[in-house]
Order: sequence, then C-alpha cells, then structure tokens
Amino acid sequence: MTLFRRKDVVLLLLIVSVLMAASCKKRVAATPPPPPPPVAPAPPAPAPAITLRAQPATIERGQSSTLQWEARNAATVQIDPEVGQVAVTGNRQVNPTSSVTYTARATGPGGTATDNARVTVNVPPPPPPPPPAPPKTPDKTISQLFLENVHEIYFDYDKADIRPDEVAKLQNNATWLKQNASVRFTLEGHCDERGSEEYNLGLGDRRANAVKEFLLSQGLAASRINTVSYGEERPVCHEQNEDCYKRNRRAAFTMNP
Amino acid sequence: MRKLSILVLLFGLATFAYPRLMSPRSFAERQQRPQIEAHTDRGIVGVKIAVPEFQVAAADPKADALTSTFNKVLWDDLDYSGVLTLVSRSFYPLGKFAQPGDIHVEDWTTPAVDAEFIAFGNTRVSGGRISVEARLWDLKNPQNREAIGKRYGSEDTEDGTRLVAHEFADAIVELIGGGIRGIAQTKIAYVSDRNGSKEVYVMDYDGNNSYPLTSYRSTALTPVWAPDGEKIAFTRMRTGAVGLEILSRIDRRSYPFQNPGGTTTTPAWSPDGSLLAFATSRDGSDTEIYVADWNGKNLRRLTVSKSVDISPVWNPKTGREIAFVSDRSGSAQIYIMDAEGTNVRRIIEEGGTAVNPAWSSDGQRIAFAWQKSRTSYFDIYVHDLATGKNDQLTQDSGNNERPTWAPDGRHLAFESTRSGTAQICSMLADGTKVRQITQTGKNTGPAWSQYIEH
Repeated sequence: MTLFRRKDVVLLLLIVSVLMAASCKKRVAATPPPPPPPVAPAPPAPAPAITLRAQPATIERGQSSTLQWEARNAATVQIDPEVGQVAVTGNRQVNPTSSVTYTARATGPGGTATDNARVTVNVPPPPPPPPPAPPKTPDKTISQLFLENVHEIYFDYDKADIRPDEVAKLQNNATWLKQNASVRFTLEGHCDERGSEEYNLGLGDRRANAVKEFLLSQGLAASRINTVSYGEERPVCHEQNEDCYKRNRRAAFTMNP
Repeated sequence: MRKLSILVLLFGLATFAYPRLMSPRSFAERQQRPQIEAHTDRGIVGVKIAVPEFQVAAADPKADALTSTFNKVLWDDLDYSGVLTLVSRSFYPLGKFAQPGDIHVEDWTTPAVDAEFIAFGNTRVSGGRISVEARLWDLKNPQNREAIGKRYGSEDTEDGTRLVAHEFADAIVELIGGGIRGIAQTKIAYVSDRNGSKEVYVMDYDGNNSYPLTSYRSTALTPVWAPDGEKIAFTRMRTGAVGLEILSRIDRRSYPFQNPGGTTTTPAWSPDGSLLAFATSRDGSDTEIYVADWNGKNLRRLTVSKSVDISPVWNPKTGREIAFVSDRSGSAQIYIMDAEGTNVRRIIEEGGTAVNPAWSSDGQRIAFAWQKSRTSYFDIYVHDLATGKNDQLTQDSGNNERPTWAPDGRHLAFESTRSGTAQICSMLADGTKVRQITQTGKNTGPAWSQYIEH
C-alpha cells in the first residue's frame, strides 16, 4: 500500500515540475506567472489560452516559416488560413507566397482564445527586363549587315590607288557606312608577300589611308575610322601565285566593337 | 656568377706563369702590318696561324666533350674572323701540344706549315668549372715569343665553354687581326616563326644559344639593338594597332615607349642611344620618318612626302645623317637626309627596288638589298659612299635581303632563301665565307648587336 502511495507522490511531483516548466516558458511572454494552481481539485472549466508564433516572421518568397503554438485548457485548436485543425501543441511549416496573418483559435470547455502571428513575405524585385535582347538582335544584325554590305577593296601590285573597277564597290561601302553612322570600323591595309617586308608595312598603310580618304570625301567622319597596316603579315591566301597575291593586296574593313 | 668568373680569371692571371704579355698596341706597332680590312676585295690572305687541338690536362667525365667543344668553337671563330689564315691540321707535326715545352718552333715554321703564330694550351675541368690555359706564340719573334698567356675560366657547361673559346678567339683577333676587336661575343636578334607566330629571338653571332625574347603570339618584326647591347626595339602588331616596343634582352624588362598613333614601325637607335627614328602614319595618308626621345617623347617629323618613307637607319659614325627607304620616285629607293630632315638625296641612281639600308660602323658604306627588275631576286650589295660604287655580295642563291653589319665592319648577316625557306646567314663583307646560322622555321630580319661587354 505504502508503495503505491509513494508512487502517487512521485507522479504528483512529476506533474508539478512539468507545470512549473510550462510556467517558466510562459515567463517569456513577460506576464508574471500566476501561482501554480492547486493540484488536487481542478477548478471547473478554466478559460483556454493559446500562443502562436511564426519563426522567422519575415521570409523571401519561396522560403518557408514555421508556426509554433501552445494551448492550455483547450480541446481543439484551429489555425487559419490553410492549416486547419491541429494538435493542441505543435508546429507546422508553411509556405505562404504573400504576406499573411495566421490566427490560431483554441476552444475548450472554458470558452475560446485566439492569438495571431504574421508572416511577411518579401517578393524579390522583378527580373530586369531583357534589354540585352532588343539591342542584341540589332547589334548582331548590324555586324551581319556590315559583313554583307561592306567589302574588301583590292589593289594592283605595288600600288595604293583606288582601281577604277573597285570604285563602285567602295562607293557602295560608303553609302552603307553613311546610313549606319553609329558603326566605327578599322581599315586594315594588306600586301602580297613580294617586295620587302618593311616597305610593305608602308604600302599597306597607304592602301588603308587611300580608302580612308575616299570615305572622308564621301562625308564620313574621320573619328569613326581607325587605320592600321599589317603589311604582308596577314595574308588570306598562302600560295605563291597571282591568284593568291591579288586577294592579299587589299584593304579590309573590320567593325570595331 | 660574373663576379665569380672575374675572380677566377684574376686568380688565374696571378698564378699562371707567363713571361711577357705584350699590350695590343705595342704588338701591333712592332708587327707593322698594314691594317687589313675585309672590304669588298676578295682573296685576302690573313696572318697564318696554327691551332693544334687543346689537350685535356686532367681526367674528368666532362673534360673530353667540353674540350672538343672548345676546340671546335675556337677554330670556327678564328677561321670566320676573316683576317687569319688557319693552317690545316694535316700539316702539323705529330704530337700533343699542351705546354710550352711541347712546342718546337722549327717544326711550325718549316715550309710545310709556315705558320707565323700558334695558339695552344690545355683544359682542366673540376669543381664545376672549366679552366683553359691558353697561349698565343709569335713563332717569328724569339725575343717576344708569348703574345698571350692567360687562364680563361667559366662554368663547366657547353655554353660556358663556348664563352671561354670566344674570349680567347677575340683576344687573338684583336692582337694580330689588324687591331679591330673580334665579334665572337656579339649577338644577333632576329625574327622566327619556329613556334607558330613571328617572335623576336636572340642568339650568339654563330647561331648558338638562341632564345625567344617575345612571346606575344601575334607578330613581332624589325628588331634593332640599342648601342648599350641590352635594349632591343621592334615593331609589334596587335589587333587594330601596330607600334613599337622596347625590351631588355637580359631580363625581358619592358621600357616604356609612347607610340605616336597610326601604324608605327621600323625603329632605329641613334648612335648615342638617346633617340629613336621610326616610320609612322600618325598624320594619316602615308608613313613619314619621325624622330623622338627613346621613350617616344619630343616627337619631331623629318620627312614630308606623299609616299612611303620607312626603314630609317643612322650613320653610326656621326649620328648626323639618316638613310631611309622611300618610293617617292615611283619605286622603293634608298635616300639619305641630314638628321634634321633636310638635304634629302637619293644614293643609287640605277632603277629597280633598293631597300633595307644598313650603315657600316665606319660610316663609309651602306649595305642594302637590291631587286634590279621586278622578275629578279633580291641580292645584297654594298654601296661605297665615297666612290658611289655598288658591290654585289650575293648572287644566284634565291632572295637575299636585310643585311646587317657586325660591329667590326667586316661581317654582315642577312636573310636568304637559298636553302628554301628564309634563314639567317652571315658572311664576310666581301661576300665570302657564307654560313647559314639558323635551321628551324622561317628566320628573318637579323640585327647584329654592338660589342657586348661581358
């Protein structure tokens, strides 16, 4: 008999300590805890109480928050929106897509109690409008158009004069370049491999500048035009015959980035 | 390392017993030989010298190979000097000639050998060094027999051994070759595509010890030496821009040069090293010759001509004139102007294309490449400024272009297609003793250094 009683005492002490622990937790809520109620005769139907928290209270869209609640003297707990009926004490992960205030309602024999917790959802700034796309497409088109409309000019051996049969082509180049005034470009002067390497550096320069002068006479702005001579160092054709040589004696146009 | 070798040298000088070391000047005076200049006269007979093989004095695993290198380099240097006649070894008496006691003068002055001088000695390899005991004897002069008696030293490598041989060869050439310094320790800068793109390389005057100066993987052209033997200026191509760069051949350090805009090419150092002349199209239309401080500042225009003006080169003797190439007459020709740009005159009246002027160190001669008609090859000529005479040095051997003078005025290097692809060759200034000194890839645009102080 005494053994049973002792057991009862242990059980009682356990309940008391649990209740004390609960009241300690409540201290966090800054209200001084009421003295522990007398254990043996519970008062008839005490009023329920509930606390609800969201951790974290602020999230980015796509992240989740955890709701935590704890009710006393309650038979059921209902959390809205979306969560529904839940256990008296517990937690639940939520993924709201916009800011929302959750309400927890605890219902028991002694009545109802509610608590709120707000989850603020930060919506990320909208992705930058795709401006690369609109300029990119015309840009690509411009270099394509440049390639399609602006052609190499060929020269006679050891000469830098614009050949009569190249004038029409150069005129067309000039027309397109005038219509596309934003295009800046480099004129490269090139030579075939005959003649001295140094002299060809000078000859390539004359070829690039002969074309430049023609373009200036057509009204193009000098500031758009860079010239350079590669002499005989950048052939497009590597055989040693006139077919190759005449393709290498050229002023090439390249669009500047 | 240099300090160490100087120390070893001094030590060798102090301990090595030599009876009489003549100063070069008194020796030259005593010899009273007319100064030999390898102009463009063929068939010069220089002083006759016997060069028996140097002997290994102490056994060492490396001794045989290094001594063999020493013997080959010494022989080639003396032979190639152009001012000595080396008596063939097949005429020498039998025996080994390592010490003064091994030389019986009468054996070397018989009609069969008939040498005037003998160079001999021995080598010793130990402790990471090669030490060469080297003597030059005047066989015709019993009173002053030993003209050179010296111990040369360097690290025991192929390169160190080559250097020792070059030093001894230069000393011999300076003493008995007419008083002009030997060129065995000079270097040649050039352009090679052996690793893909055209880069500037530097090598010894005989083609050994080659190493790349640049690795731009673009195009580097027209290297030229500053008179200090350290800085090399050249033309560098980039995307959309061509300009000059200056690098140290020793540590590849870059020296700033402010490019003037336009395509800027073909630099040339003034003889005092303070100025660069070059061609640039900074004013549009075409290239003109400009001069600036060697950092590119204080730019001054020298030519005014609606034509290509390029490839300037200073008179190295006076620094008061500049030769250059211009096509103002319709085809490329060589002109000289005063260093201020005035008094322009054409030097070769005949037609064709004359390019690549290279001015000899005495200021008297301009070597150049001449293509006499559009269908002919380029060949190397030397124009004598006093007489106006043009001597042809190469013929019937492909294109021969871009001559460059050695500082002794006796040798020229140039590029030639005689073996197929362009290679660097060198020769005496009379067109003899041509030897190809590069092998791999296409090698062009040689520039011979000034004397380099080691």
